[in-house]
Amino acid sequence: MLELAGVRHAYEGRVVLDLERFTVAPGALIAIVGHNGSGKSTLLRLLALVERPTAGEVRWDGAVVSSPRLRPRAPARRRITLVEQRPMLFRGTVRENLAFGLVARGRRGAEAQNTIERVADRLGVTSLLARQRHELSDGEVQRVAVARALAVAPDVLLLDEPVSSADRAAAQALYAALAEERRARGLAICLASHQLEDAYRWADDIRALAEGRLSPVTPENLFRVELPAGAETKHVRVGPIGIAVTTAREGPAILAVPPTDIFVSTAPIVSSARNVFSGQVTRLGRPRPGVVHVTADVGIELIAVITEEAARDLGLAPGSPVTFAFKASAVRVF
Amino acid sequence: MDFLGEGLHRALQLISSVDPEVYGIALLTVKVAVVATLIACALGMPLGFVLASRRFWGRRAALTVVNTALAFPTVVVGLLLYGLLSRRGPLGGLGWLYSWQAIVIGDVILAFPIAAALSAAAVQGVDPRIRRTAETLGAGTWRTAWTVAREARFALAAVITAAFGQVVAEVGAAMIVGGNIRGSTRTLTTAVALYTAQGDFGLALALGIILLVMALVVNVALQLLQGRGSA
Repeated sequence: MLELAGVRHAYEGRVVLDLERFTVAPGALIAIVGHNGSGKSTLLRLLALVERPTAGEVRWDGAVVSSPRLRPRAPARRRITLVEQRPMLFRGTVRENLAFGLVARGRRGAEAQNTIERVADRLGVTSLLARQRHELSDGEVQRVAVARALAVAPDVLLLDEPVSSADRAAAQALYAALAEERRARGLAICLASHQLEDAYRWADDIRALAEGRLSPVTPENLFRVELPAGAETKHVRVGPIGIAVTTAREGPAILAVPPTDIFVSTAPIVSSARNVFSGQVTRLGRPRPGVVHVTADVGIELIAVITEEAARDLGLAPGSPVTFAFKASAVRVF
Repeated sequence: MDFLGEGLHRALQLISSVDPEVYGIALLTVKVAVVATLIACALGMPLGFVLASRRFWGRRAALTVVNTALAFPTVVVGLLLYGLLSRRGPLGGLGWLYSWQAIVIGDVILAFPIAAALSAAAVQGVDPRIRRTAETLGAGTWRTAWTVAREARFALAAVITAAFGQVVAEVGAAMIVGGNIRGSTRTLTTAVALYTAQGDFGLALALGIILLVMALVVNVALQLLQGRGSA
Protein backbone atom coordinates (compact mmCIF):
# COMPACT_ATOMS: atom_id res chain seq x y z
CA MET A 1 0.00 0.00 0.00
CA LEU A 2 1.22 3.49 -0.95
CA GLU A 3 0.79 6.07 1.76
CA LEU A 4 1.60 9.70 2.59
CA ALA A 5 2.02 10.35 6.30
CA GLY A 6 2.17 13.81 7.86
CA VAL A 7 3.14 15.34 4.54
CA ARG A 8 3.58 19.07 4.20
CA HIS A 9 4.98 20.38 0.99
CA ALA A 10 6.01 23.95 0.28
CA TYR A 11 7.40 25.85 -2.69
CA GLU A 12 9.55 28.81 -1.66
CA GLY A 13 7.94 28.86 1.78
CA ARG A 14 4.34 28.65 0.51
CA VAL A 15 2.58 25.50 1.74
CA VAL A 16 0.78 23.87 -1.20
CA LEU A 17 -0.05 20.52 0.37
CA ASP A 18 -0.81 19.58 3.95
CA LEU A 19 -2.06 16.02 4.43
CA GLU A 20 -2.16 14.07 7.65
CA ARG A 21 -2.69 10.81 5.77
CA PHE A 22 -3.41 9.76 2.21
CA THR A 23 -3.48 6.12 1.20
CA VAL A 24 -3.72 4.24 -2.07
CA ALA A 25 -4.72 0.66 -1.37
CA PRO A 26 -3.85 -2.14 -3.82
CA GLY A 27 -6.35 -2.20 -6.69
CA ALA A 28 -8.04 1.05 -5.58
CA LEU A 29 -9.62 3.40 -8.11
CA ILE A 30 -9.35 6.87 -6.64
CA ALA A 31 -10.27 10.23 -8.12
CA ILE A 32 -8.79 13.36 -6.64
CA VAL A 33 -10.99 16.30 -7.47
CA GLY A 34 -10.41 19.96 -6.91
CA HIS A 35 -9.97 23.20 -8.74
CA ASN A 36 -6.76 24.30 -10.41
CA GLY A 37 -4.13 25.06 -7.80
CA SER A 38 -5.73 22.85 -5.15
CA GLY A 39 -2.58 20.70 -4.92
CA LYS A 40 -3.61 17.71 -7.07
CA SER A 41 -0.51 17.67 -9.27
CA THR A 42 1.83 18.14 -6.30
CA LEU A 43 0.13 15.28 -4.50
CA LEU A 44 0.61 13.00 -7.52
CA ARG A 45 4.28 13.97 -7.88
CA LEU A 46 4.90 13.12 -4.23
CA LEU A 47 3.06 9.79 -4.61
CA ALA A 48 5.10 9.08 -7.76
CA LEU A 49 8.34 9.66 -5.81
CA VAL A 50 9.61 12.17 -8.36
CA GLU A 51 9.51 14.92 -5.75
CA ARG A 52 10.37 14.72 -2.05
CA PRO A 53 8.05 16.23 0.57
CA THR A 54 9.31 19.23 2.53
CA ALA A 55 8.13 17.41 5.66
CA GLY A 56 6.64 13.98 6.32
CA GLU A 57 7.08 10.61 4.68
CA VAL A 58 5.96 8.54 1.73
CA ARG A 59 5.67 4.86 2.61
CA TRP A 60 5.28 1.68 0.61
CA ASP A 61 3.90 -1.20 2.67
CA GLY A 62 4.95 0.67 5.81
CA ALA A 63 8.58 1.23 4.74
CA VAL A 64 9.67 4.84 4.18
CA VAL A 65 10.62 5.32 0.51
CA SER A 66 10.77 9.12 0.35
CA SER A 67 11.25 11.86 2.90
CA PRO A 68 13.11 15.18 3.15
CA ARG A 69 16.24 13.18 3.97
CA LEU A 70 15.66 10.08 1.87
CA ARG A 71 15.98 10.28 -1.88
CA PRO A 72 13.69 7.70 -3.52
CA ARG A 73 15.53 4.81 -5.18
CA ALA A 74 14.74 3.49 -8.63
CA PRO A 75 13.42 0.08 -7.36
CA ALA A 76 10.72 1.84 -5.29
CA ARG A 77 9.86 4.21 -8.14
CA ARG A 78 9.45 1.28 -10.53
CA ARG A 79 6.22 0.20 -8.83
CA ILE A 80 4.53 3.57 -9.38
CA THR A 81 4.17 5.45 -12.66
CA LEU A 82 2.91 8.97 -13.21
CA VAL A 83 1.43 10.44 -16.38
CA GLU A 84 1.60 14.21 -16.07
CA GLN A 85 -1.13 16.60 -17.14
CA ARG A 86 0.80 17.75 -20.19
CA PRO A 87 2.98 14.69 -20.70
CA MET A 88 6.26 14.87 -22.59
CA LEU A 89 7.52 12.27 -24.98
CA PHE A 90 11.23 11.65 -25.33
CA ARG A 91 13.10 12.29 -28.52
CA GLY A 92 12.55 9.38 -30.90
CA THR A 93 9.64 7.37 -32.19
CA VAL A 94 6.50 6.40 -30.31
CA ARG A 95 7.80 2.80 -30.28
CA GLU A 96 11.05 3.95 -28.63
CA ASN A 97 9.01 5.87 -26.08
CA LEU A 98 6.93 2.82 -25.24
CA ALA A 99 10.15 0.81 -24.90
CA PHE A 100 11.79 3.32 -22.51
CA GLY A 101 10.55 1.88 -19.22
CA LEU A 102 11.04 -1.69 -20.42
CA VAL A 103 14.67 -1.01 -21.39
CA ALA A 104 15.20 0.63 -17.98
CA ARG A 105 14.12 -2.71 -16.50
CA GLY A 106 16.48 -4.66 -18.76
CA ARG A 107 13.62 -5.99 -20.89
CA ARG A 108 14.35 -6.06 -24.59
CA GLY A 109 13.71 -8.34 -27.54
CA ALA A 110 10.56 -10.17 -28.55
CA GLU A 111 8.91 -10.11 -25.12
CA ALA A 112 9.31 -6.33 -24.86
CA GLN A 113 8.01 -5.89 -28.42
CA ASN A 114 4.95 -8.00 -27.57
CA THR A 115 4.25 -5.80 -24.56
CA ILE A 116 4.58 -2.67 -26.72
CA GLU A 117 2.21 -4.07 -29.35
CA ARG A 118 -0.30 -5.04 -26.65
CA VAL A 119 -0.45 -1.64 -24.88
CA ALA A 120 -0.36 0.22 -28.20
CA ASP A 121 -3.37 -1.80 -29.32
CA ARG A 122 -5.18 -1.22 -26.03
CA LEU A 123 -4.72 2.56 -26.24
CA GLY A 124 -5.31 2.72 -30.00
CA VAL A 125 -1.86 4.05 -30.86
CA THR A 126 -0.62 1.16 -33.04
CA SER A 127 -0.76 3.31 -36.17
CA LEU A 128 1.44 5.92 -34.45
CA LEU A 129 4.31 3.59 -33.48
CA ALA A 130 6.69 4.79 -36.19
CA ARG A 131 5.95 8.49 -35.71
CA GLN A 132 8.20 11.08 -34.06
CA ARG A 133 6.87 13.11 -31.15
CA HIS A 134 6.50 16.31 -33.18
CA GLU A 135 4.17 14.48 -35.58
CA LEU A 136 1.52 13.86 -32.87
CA SER A 137 -1.43 15.93 -31.68
CA ASP A 138 -1.82 16.76 -27.97
CA GLY A 139 -4.49 14.09 -27.59
CA GLU A 140 -2.24 11.49 -29.25
CA VAL A 141 0.66 12.46 -26.99
CA GLN A 142 -1.59 11.91 -23.99
CA ARG A 143 -2.62 8.44 -25.18
CA VAL A 144 0.98 7.48 -25.98
CA ALA A 145 2.03 8.66 -22.53
CA VAL A 146 -0.62 6.47 -20.89
CA ALA A 147 0.42 3.52 -23.07
CA ARG A 148 4.07 4.13 -22.10
CA ALA A 149 3.09 4.08 -18.43
CA LEU A 150 1.02 0.89 -18.80
CA ALA A 151 3.85 -0.86 -20.66
CA VAL A 152 5.88 -1.08 -17.46
CA ALA A 153 2.97 -2.73 -15.61
CA PRO A 154 3.10 -0.56 -12.47
CA ASP A 155 1.32 -1.50 -9.24
CA VAL A 156 0.04 2.08 -8.99
CA LEU A 157 -0.78 4.26 -11.98
CA LEU A 158 -1.10 7.99 -11.30
CA LEU A 159 -2.85 10.10 -13.92
CA ASP A 160 -2.99 13.88 -13.84
CA GLU A 161 -5.96 15.13 -15.88
CA PRO A 162 -5.52 12.24 -18.33
CA VAL A 163 -8.17 13.41 -20.79
CA SER A 164 -7.55 17.16 -20.74
CA SER A 165 -6.58 17.14 -24.44
CA ALA A 166 -9.07 14.49 -25.55
CA ASP A 167 -12.54 14.88 -26.99
CA ARG A 168 -15.42 13.08 -25.30
CA ALA A 169 -15.13 9.90 -27.41
CA ALA A 170 -11.35 9.70 -26.95
CA ALA A 171 -11.79 10.21 -23.21
CA GLN A 172 -14.31 7.36 -23.03
CA ALA A 173 -11.96 5.12 -24.99
CA LEU A 174 -9.07 5.96 -22.68
CA TYR A 175 -11.09 5.25 -19.56
CA ALA A 176 -12.39 2.02 -21.07
CA ALA A 177 -8.79 0.94 -21.82
CA LEU A 178 -7.78 1.72 -18.25
CA ALA A 179 -10.73 -0.24 -16.88
CA GLU A 180 -9.77 -3.20 -19.08
CA GLU A 181 -6.16 -3.07 -17.92
CA ARG A 182 -7.32 -2.89 -14.33
CA ARG A 183 -9.55 -5.91 -14.78
CA ALA A 184 -6.65 -7.80 -16.35
CA ARG A 185 -4.15 -7.23 -13.56
CA GLY A 186 -5.68 -5.31 -10.68
CA LEU A 187 -3.47 -2.24 -10.62
CA ALA A 188 -4.41 0.72 -8.43
CA ILE A 189 -5.28 3.90 -10.32
CA CYS A 190 -5.31 7.35 -8.82
CA LEU A 191 -6.44 10.10 -11.16
CA ALA A 192 -6.64 13.82 -10.64
CA SER A 193 -9.40 15.61 -12.44
CA HIS A 194 -11.33 18.81 -12.24
CA GLN A 195 -14.11 17.15 -14.24
CA LEU A 196 -16.47 15.73 -11.66
CA GLU A 197 -18.42 13.70 -14.20
CA ASP A 198 -15.26 11.76 -15.04
CA ALA A 199 -14.45 11.26 -11.39
CA TYR A 200 -17.89 9.93 -10.55
CA ARG A 201 -18.11 7.83 -13.65
CA TRP A 202 -14.83 6.01 -13.17
CA ALA A 203 -13.72 6.09 -9.57
CA ASP A 204 -14.82 4.09 -6.54
CA ASP A 205 -13.37 6.57 -4.12
CA ILE A 206 -13.60 10.34 -4.59
CA ARG A 207 -11.38 12.60 -2.54
CA ALA A 208 -11.69 16.36 -2.73
CA LEU A 209 -8.67 18.59 -2.36
CA ALA A 210 -9.01 22.28 -1.52
CA GLU A 211 -6.10 24.61 -0.74
CA GLY A 212 -3.80 21.62 -0.35
CA ARG A 213 -5.96 19.85 2.23
CA LEU A 214 -8.41 17.00 1.98
CA SER A 215 -11.83 18.58 2.05
CA PRO A 216 -14.58 16.87 4.09
CA VAL A 217 -17.14 18.09 1.54
CA THR A 218 -17.02 16.35 -1.80
CA PRO A 219 -17.73 19.02 -4.39
CA GLU A 220 -20.47 17.22 -6.29
CA ASN A 221 -22.73 18.99 -8.75
CA LEU A 222 -20.53 22.06 -9.15
CA PHE A 223 -21.10 24.33 -12.12
CA ARG A 224 -19.28 27.44 -13.23
CA VAL A 225 -21.90 29.97 -14.39
CA GLU A 226 -22.52 33.62 -15.20
CA LEU A 227 -25.29 34.97 -12.95
CA PRO A 228 -27.50 37.56 -14.61
CA ALA A 229 -28.45 40.82 -12.91
CA GLY A 230 -32.00 41.44 -11.76
CA ALA A 231 -34.58 39.22 -10.09
CA GLU A 232 -33.91 37.39 -6.84
CA THR A 233 -34.71 33.99 -8.39
CA LYS A 234 -32.60 33.57 -11.49
CA HIS A 235 -32.64 30.99 -14.22
CA VAL A 236 -29.10 30.09 -15.12
CA ARG A 237 -28.19 28.04 -18.15
CA VAL A 238 -26.03 25.00 -17.37
CA GLY A 239 -25.47 23.02 -20.55
CA PRO A 240 -28.89 22.29 -22.09
CA ILE A 241 -30.92 22.94 -18.90
CA GLY A 242 -31.78 26.02 -16.84
CA ILE A 243 -31.29 25.89 -13.08
CA ALA A 244 -33.35 28.19 -10.87
CA VAL A 245 -31.29 29.73 -8.09
CA THR A 246 -32.16 32.25 -5.38
CA THR A 247 -29.38 34.77 -5.00
CA ALA A 248 -28.76 38.50 -5.17
CA ARG A 249 -25.33 37.92 -6.68
CA GLU A 250 -24.48 38.54 -10.27
CA GLY A 251 -21.53 37.84 -12.54
CA PRO A 252 -19.25 34.79 -12.55
CA ALA A 253 -20.01 32.26 -9.81
CA ILE A 254 -19.97 28.58 -8.96
CA LEU A 255 -23.26 26.83 -8.24
CA ALA A 256 -23.34 23.80 -5.96
CA VAL A 257 -26.35 21.54 -5.73
CA PRO A 258 -25.96 19.51 -2.53
CA PRO A 259 -26.67 15.86 -3.44
CA THR A 260 -28.58 15.33 -0.20
CA ASP A 261 -31.01 18.14 -1.15
CA ILE A 262 -32.14 16.40 -4.33
CA PHE A 263 -35.43 14.49 -4.24
CA VAL A 264 -35.40 11.37 -6.39
CA SER A 265 -38.52 9.97 -7.97
CA THR A 266 -39.41 7.48 -10.67
CA ALA A 267 -42.72 9.27 -11.36
CA PRO A 268 -43.21 12.88 -12.54
CA ILE A 269 -43.14 15.30 -9.59
CA VAL A 270 -45.51 18.19 -9.08
CA SER A 271 -44.15 20.25 -6.21
CA SER A 272 -42.99 23.64 -5.10
CA ALA A 273 -39.43 22.82 -6.17
CA ARG A 274 -38.38 25.15 -9.00
CA ASN A 275 -35.91 22.66 -10.40
CA VAL A 276 -37.43 19.46 -11.76
CA PHE A 277 -35.46 17.47 -14.34
CA SER A 278 -36.15 14.08 -15.87
CA GLY A 279 -33.61 11.71 -17.32
CA GLN A 280 -32.03 8.30 -16.88
CA VAL A 281 -29.95 6.72 -14.13
CA THR A 282 -26.40 6.26 -15.46
CA ARG A 283 -24.71 4.84 -12.38
CA LEU A 284 -25.38 3.67 -8.86
CA GLY A 285 -22.53 3.90 -6.39
CA ARG A 286 -22.35 2.62 -2.83
CA PRO A 287 -19.53 4.53 -1.10
CA ARG A 288 -20.51 3.10 2.31
CA PRO A 289 -23.18 0.74 3.63
CA GLY A 290 -26.71 2.15 3.57
CA VAL A 291 -25.88 5.05 1.23
CA VAL A 292 -26.44 5.13 -2.52
CA HIS A 293 -25.10 7.73 -4.95
CA VAL A 294 -27.51 8.01 -7.87
CA THR A 295 -25.92 9.55 -10.94
CA ALA A 296 -28.42 10.59 -13.61
CA ASP A 297 -28.17 12.20 -17.00
CA VAL A 298 -30.83 14.91 -17.00
CA GLY A 299 -29.19 16.89 -19.77
CA ILE A 300 -26.25 17.40 -17.46
CA GLU A 301 -24.92 14.85 -15.03
CA LEU A 302 -26.30 15.26 -11.49
CA ILE A 303 -25.66 13.17 -8.41
CA ALA A 304 -28.15 12.60 -5.64
CA VAL A 305 -27.53 10.81 -2.35
CA ILE A 306 -30.32 8.61 -1.03
CA THR A 307 -30.60 5.70 1.39
CA GLU A 308 -30.25 2.08 0.35
CA GLU A 309 -33.85 1.53 1.42
CA ALA A 310 -35.14 4.36 -0.82
CA ALA A 311 -33.14 3.05 -3.75
CA ARG A 312 -34.65 -0.38 -3.23
CA ASP A 313 -38.20 0.98 -2.94
CA LEU A 314 -37.80 2.99 -6.14
CA GLY A 315 -36.28 -0.02 -7.91
CA LEU A 316 -33.45 2.09 -9.34
CA ALA A 317 -31.01 0.55 -11.78
CA PRO A 318 -28.76 1.97 -14.51
CA GLY A 319 -31.02 2.95 -17.38
CA SER A 320 -34.14 3.52 -15.20
CA PRO A 321 -36.12 6.69 -15.91
CA VAL A 322 -35.78 9.09 -13.00
CA THR A 323 -36.80 12.60 -11.97
CA PHE A 324 -34.60 14.84 -9.81
CA ALA A 325 -36.09 17.84 -7.97
CA PHE A 326 -34.55 20.50 -5.76
CA LYS A 327 -35.50 23.95 -4.53
CA ALA A 328 -34.00 27.11 -5.97
CA SER A 329 -33.03 28.04 -2.40
CA ALA A 330 -31.11 24.76 -2.00
CA VAL A 331 -28.61 25.77 -4.68
CA ARG A 332 -25.52 27.26 -3.09
CA VAL A 333 -23.62 30.04 -4.76
CA PHE A 334 -19.85 30.53 -4.34
CA MET B 1 47.33 47.79 -46.71
CA ASP B 2 50.45 46.50 -48.52
CA PHE B 3 51.66 45.27 -45.23
CA LEU B 4 48.50 43.19 -44.76
CA GLY B 5 48.47 42.00 -48.37
CA GLU B 6 52.10 40.88 -48.22
CA GLY B 7 51.39 39.12 -44.95
CA LEU B 8 48.44 37.27 -46.43
CA HIS B 9 50.46 36.28 -49.51
CA ARG B 10 53.24 34.85 -47.33
CA ALA B 11 50.69 33.07 -45.17
CA LEU B 12 49.17 31.29 -48.17
CA GLN B 13 52.66 30.38 -49.42
CA LEU B 14 53.57 28.81 -46.07
CA ILE B 15 50.36 26.86 -45.88
CA SER B 16 50.50 25.58 -49.47
CA SER B 17 54.17 24.62 -49.23
CA VAL B 18 53.41 22.40 -46.20
CA ASP B 19 56.05 24.08 -44.05
CA PRO B 20 57.13 21.45 -41.47
CA GLU B 21 57.52 23.95 -38.65
CA VAL B 22 54.06 25.45 -39.23
CA TYR B 23 52.44 22.03 -39.36
CA GLY B 24 54.37 20.85 -36.29
CA ILE B 25 53.00 23.82 -34.35
CA ALA B 26 49.48 23.17 -35.67
CA LEU B 27 49.61 19.49 -34.74
CA LEU B 28 50.78 20.26 -31.19
CA THR B 29 47.97 22.80 -30.87
CA VAL B 30 45.41 20.23 -31.99
CA LYS B 31 46.80 17.65 -29.56
CA VAL B 32 46.75 20.06 -26.61
CA ALA B 33 43.30 21.41 -27.49
CA VAL B 34 41.65 18.02 -27.96
CA VAL B 35 43.15 16.50 -24.79
CA ALA B 36 42.36 19.59 -22.67
CA THR B 37 38.80 19.88 -24.06
CA LEU B 38 38.12 16.20 -23.39
CA ILE B 39 39.42 16.40 -19.81
CA ALA B 40 37.66 19.71 -19.06
CA CYS B 41 34.34 18.42 -20.44
CA ALA B 42 34.70 15.02 -18.75
CA LEU B 43 35.10 16.80 -15.40
CA GLY B 44 32.99 19.92 -15.93
CA MET B 45 29.90 18.50 -17.59
CA PRO B 46 29.02 16.02 -14.81
CA LEU B 47 29.53 18.82 -12.28
CA GLY B 48 27.22 21.07 -14.31
CA PHE B 49 24.70 18.26 -14.40
CA VAL B 50 24.79 17.85 -10.61
CA LEU B 51 24.59 21.60 -10.01
CA ALA B 52 21.56 21.86 -12.29
CA SER B 53 19.62 18.81 -11.21
CA ARG B 54 20.31 18.24 -7.51
CA ARG B 55 19.33 20.38 -4.56
CA PHE B 56 21.97 20.32 -1.83
CA TRP B 57 23.49 22.59 0.76
CA GLY B 58 26.07 24.92 -0.81
CA ARG B 59 24.72 24.52 -4.35
CA ARG B 60 24.25 28.24 -4.89
CA ALA B 61 27.75 28.96 -3.56
CA ALA B 62 29.19 26.32 -5.89
CA LEU B 63 27.36 27.85 -8.86
CA THR B 64 28.70 31.29 -7.91
CA VAL B 65 32.27 29.95 -7.69
CA VAL B 66 31.98 28.24 -11.08
CA ASN B 67 30.49 31.34 -12.70
CA THR B 68 33.19 33.55 -11.18
CA ALA B 69 35.88 31.18 -12.44
CA LEU B 70 34.68 31.92 -15.98
CA ALA B 71 36.45 35.25 -15.68
CA PHE B 72 39.71 33.79 -14.35
CA PRO B 73 42.58 35.67 -16.10
CA THR B 74 44.70 33.24 -18.09
CA VAL B 75 47.99 34.78 -16.97
CA VAL B 76 46.99 34.33 -13.33
CA VAL B 77 46.26 30.65 -14.01
CA GLY B 78 49.66 30.42 -15.71
CA LEU B 79 51.34 32.10 -12.77
CA LEU B 80 49.75 29.84 -10.14
CA LEU B 81 50.46 26.75 -12.21
CA TYR B 82 54.05 27.90 -12.67
CA GLY B 83 54.35 28.07 -8.87
CA LEU B 84 52.97 24.55 -8.52
CA LEU B 85 55.05 22.96 -11.31
CA SER B 86 58.38 24.78 -10.80
CA ARG B 87 61.16 22.71 -9.34
CA ARG B 88 60.58 24.06 -5.81
CA GLY B 89 56.78 23.83 -6.13
CA PRO B 90 54.62 21.02 -4.66
CA LEU B 91 54.26 19.35 -8.08
CA GLY B 92 57.84 20.03 -9.18
CA GLY B 93 58.67 16.33 -8.98
CA LEU B 94 56.54 15.66 -12.04
CA GLY B 95 58.99 17.58 -14.20
CA TRP B 96 56.14 18.95 -16.32
CA LEU B 97 57.12 22.63 -16.39
CA TYR B 98 57.73 23.70 -20.02
CA SER B 99 56.01 20.58 -21.34
CA TRP B 100 52.81 20.15 -23.38
CA GLN B 101 51.25 18.47 -20.33
CA ALA B 102 51.66 21.72 -18.39
CA ILE B 103 49.82 23.60 -21.14
CA VAL B 104 47.04 20.99 -21.01
CA ILE B 105 46.67 21.47 -17.23
CA GLY B 106 46.45 25.24 -17.63
CA ASP B 107 43.88 24.88 -20.41
CA VAL B 108 41.83 22.41 -18.37
CA ILE B 109 41.73 24.85 -15.44
CA LEU B 110 40.43 27.55 -17.79
CA ALA B 111 37.95 25.40 -19.74
CA PHE B 112 36.58 23.47 -16.74
CA PRO B 113 34.39 26.36 -15.44
CA ILE B 114 33.08 26.91 -18.97
CA ALA B 115 32.10 23.24 -19.26
CA ALA B 116 30.51 23.23 -15.79
CA ALA B 117 28.66 26.56 -15.93
CA LEU B 118 27.36 26.21 -19.48
CA SER B 119 26.28 22.59 -19.07
CA ALA B 120 24.48 23.55 -15.84
CA ALA B 121 22.63 26.20 -17.83
CA ALA B 122 21.95 23.68 -20.63
CA VAL B 123 20.48 21.13 -18.22
CA GLN B 124 18.44 23.78 -16.43
CA GLY B 125 16.96 24.65 -19.80
CA VAL B 126 15.50 21.15 -20.23
CA ASP B 127 11.84 20.86 -19.27
CA PRO B 128 11.75 19.31 -15.75
CA ARG B 129 9.05 16.90 -16.93
CA ILE B 130 11.71 15.04 -18.95
CA ARG B 131 13.63 14.12 -15.79
CA ARG B 132 10.45 13.29 -13.88
CA THR B 133 9.15 11.15 -16.74
CA ALA B 134 12.41 9.22 -17.02
CA GLU B 135 12.38 8.64 -13.26
CA THR B 136 8.75 7.62 -13.09
CA LEU B 137 9.35 5.10 -15.88
CA GLY B 138 12.00 3.50 -13.70
CA ALA B 139 15.24 4.97 -15.06
CA GLY B 140 18.16 5.06 -12.65
CA THR B 141 20.49 8.02 -12.15
CA TRP B 142 22.63 7.41 -15.25
CA ARG B 143 19.78 6.64 -17.64
CA THR B 144 17.91 9.71 -16.40
CA ALA B 145 21.02 11.86 -16.91
CA TRP B 146 21.51 10.42 -20.40
CA THR B 147 17.84 11.10 -21.27
CA VAL B 148 18.13 14.71 -20.11
CA ALA B 149 21.44 15.08 -22.00
CA ARG B 150 19.81 13.85 -25.21
CA GLU B 151 17.18 16.56 -24.87
CA ALA B 152 19.88 19.19 -24.24
CA ARG B 153 22.17 17.92 -27.00
CA PHE B 154 22.34 21.20 -28.95
CA ALA B 155 23.22 23.23 -25.88
CA LEU B 156 25.73 20.60 -24.73
CA ALA B 157 27.39 20.61 -28.18
CA ALA B 158 27.71 24.37 -27.77
CA VAL B 159 29.41 23.74 -24.41
CA ILE B 160 32.04 21.57 -26.12
CA THR B 161 32.52 24.21 -28.82
CA ALA B 162 32.94 26.96 -26.22
CA ALA B 163 35.44 24.87 -24.20
CA PHE B 164 37.41 24.08 -27.36
CA GLY B 165 37.33 27.75 -28.34
CA GLN B 166 38.75 28.77 -24.96
CA VAL B 167 41.49 26.15 -25.12
CA VAL B 168 42.57 26.71 -28.70
CA ALA B 169 42.74 30.50 -28.30
CA GLU B 170 44.50 30.51 -24.94
CA VAL B 171 47.91 32.21 -24.88
CA GLY B 172 48.76 33.55 -21.41
CA ALA B 173 49.02 30.32 -19.44
CA ALA B 174 50.53 28.43 -22.41
CA MET B 175 53.28 31.02 -22.66
CA ILE B 176 54.12 30.92 -18.93
CA VAL B 177 54.01 27.17 -18.23
CA GLY B 178 54.84 25.98 -21.77
CA GLY B 179 57.70 28.39 -22.34
CA ASN B 180 57.02 28.66 -26.11
CA ILE B 181 59.93 26.32 -26.87
CA ARG B 182 60.47 25.73 -30.57
CA GLY B 183 59.64 22.18 -31.61
CA SER B 184 58.41 21.30 -28.14
CA THR B 185 55.79 23.58 -26.58
CA ARG B 186 55.19 26.19 -29.25
CA THR B 187 51.46 26.36 -29.98
CA LEU B 188 49.72 28.45 -32.63
CA THR B 189 48.82 31.23 -30.22
CA THR B 190 52.22 31.50 -28.55
CA ALA B 191 53.89 31.36 -31.97
CA VAL B 192 51.63 34.14 -33.30
CA ALA B 193 52.58 36.28 -30.30
CA LEU B 194 56.30 35.55 -30.82
CA TYR B 195 56.44 36.08 -34.61
CA THR B 196 54.39 39.26 -34.37
CA ALA B 197 56.87 40.58 -31.79
CA GLN B 198 59.74 39.59 -34.11
CA GLY B 199 58.11 41.39 -37.04
CA ASP B 200 57.49 38.20 -39.07
CA PHE B 201 53.96 39.24 -39.85
CA GLY B 202 53.41 36.74 -42.67
CA LEU B 203 54.27 33.74 -40.54
CA ALA B 204 52.13 35.06 -37.68
CA LEU B 205 49.23 35.59 -40.07
CA ALA B 206 49.64 32.09 -41.56
CA LEU B 207 49.42 30.60 -38.10
CA GLY B 208 46.42 32.80 -37.31
CA ILE B 209 44.63 31.55 -40.43
CA ILE B 210 45.32 27.93 -39.49
CA LEU B 211 43.90 28.66 -36.04
CA LEU B 212 40.71 30.06 -37.55
CA VAL B 213 40.39 27.11 -39.94
CA MET B 214 40.74 24.70 -37.00
CA ALA B 215 37.97 26.48 -35.11
CA LEU B 216 35.82 26.41 -38.24
CA VAL B 217 36.38 22.68 -38.80
CA VAL B 218 35.43 21.86 -35.20
CA ASN B 219 32.26 23.97 -35.42
CA VAL B 220 31.21 22.47 -38.75
CA ALA B 221 31.86 18.95 -37.43
CA LEU B 222 29.70 19.59 -34.36
CA GLN B 223 26.95 21.15 -36.47
CA LEU B 224 26.96 18.10 -38.75
CA LEU B 225 26.66 15.84 -35.72
CA GLN B 226 23.75 17.93 -34.41
CA GLY B 227 22.09 17.75 -37.82
CA ARG B 228 22.29 13.97 -37.82
CA GLY B 229 20.67 13.84 -34.40
CA SER B 230 17.98 16.42 -34.96
CA ALA B 231 15.17 13.95 -35.72
